[in-house]
Amino acid sequence: MRRLLASPDFRAGFVEMLPACIGLIPFGLVCGVGASAAGASWLAALGMSAVIFSGAAQILAGQMLAGGAPLAIIVLTCFVLGLRFLMYSAAMAPYLTALPPRWQKALAFLLTDQAFASAIRRFNASNDPHAGAQHFLGAGMALYLCWQVTNMTGYFAGNVIPAAWSLEFAVPLCFLALVAPLLRDMPNVAAAVVAGVAVVVLGGLPMKLNLIAAGVIGIIVGTLADLMKERWTRR
Amino acid sequence: MDATLKLWLVILAVGLLNYLSRLSFIAVFARRTMPPLLARALKYVPAAMLTALIVPMIAADPAAGHALTFNPRIVAAAIAGVVAFYTRSSLWTMGTGMAALWVLQAVS
Repeated sequence: MRRLLASPDFRAGFVEMLPACIGLIPFGLVCGVGASAAGASWLAALGMSAVIFSGAAQILAGQMLAGGAPLAIIVLTCFVLGLRFLMYSAAMAPYLTALPPRWQKALAFLLTDQAFASAIRRFNASNDPHAGAQHFLGAGMALYLCWQVTNMTGYFAGNVIPAAWSLEFAVPLCFLALVAPLLRDMPNVAAAVVAGVAVVVLGGLPMKLNLIAAGVIGIIVGTLADLMKERWTRR
Repeated sequence: MDATLKLWLVILAVGLLNYLSRLSFIAVFARRTMPPLLARALKYVPAAMLTALIVPMIAADPAAGHALTFNPRIVAAAIAGVVAFYTRSSLWTMGTGMAALWVLQAVS
């Protein structure tokens, strides 16, 4: 453990994540406030951030719990939201095959939107899987620590933050930072636009089912657009 | 169902499913290649799912009574979106988006 903490790759990964951690502070605070608003005990709030470890799923689960949605619908919606981890997992897999299983299991737990983006850059830059894995572990641990601290701070101290700051606006901004850079090709634009329109049009559906419906419609449209684009360019 | 029990069931079920999704191709299906259609569809999960999550958060302004009144959140989000597109930085997106919202709320 001490050897790991002293490794330059681990440290580089940890340090590289610090700006992203600062960007995540408002988001973590809002998640903690959300857990407290949903009536969670401090232990359950810590459970949400430490076990789920996904801001999007935590916010959504909190809102749906407060809205009285059934357990199965909450779990299903969060599962579809988490399908993006399947894609990250597949993209990371080729770089991690050389590692022992316990490393793979630990690194998988720390796979998040932000850590994924950083890890792919790092793995593309060098061929040493162990150095890359230590870098990823450092980045993941920085995010994990920051996430627990900000969530707990939000849970206990959220009520001192003035409402006029509109801190909850940090949540859509966090996702906007992930989505907007994707909008460089036609299928992604189609998926986002259709999902965005569908979620408003279907707003009347109960239990926030409009979210999962709009997401699935957007994924289908994006996939069809991708297939059409490929057929078009092949001619 | 008891609210505390339900909350913990959500934590455990969502946590487990998230972990299995993260682990899937790294460990469980490591020796398999993903079916091409699934790989194609998964590419569009972030754009579709995250947009569906964002839009209601931006469109719903607790201060505005009517749908057609000026909503500073939409303008601030548009500015932040442009910044995110060009900088790809979460810090810059967060900074300009929050600053834009505060300015717009102060002047409107």
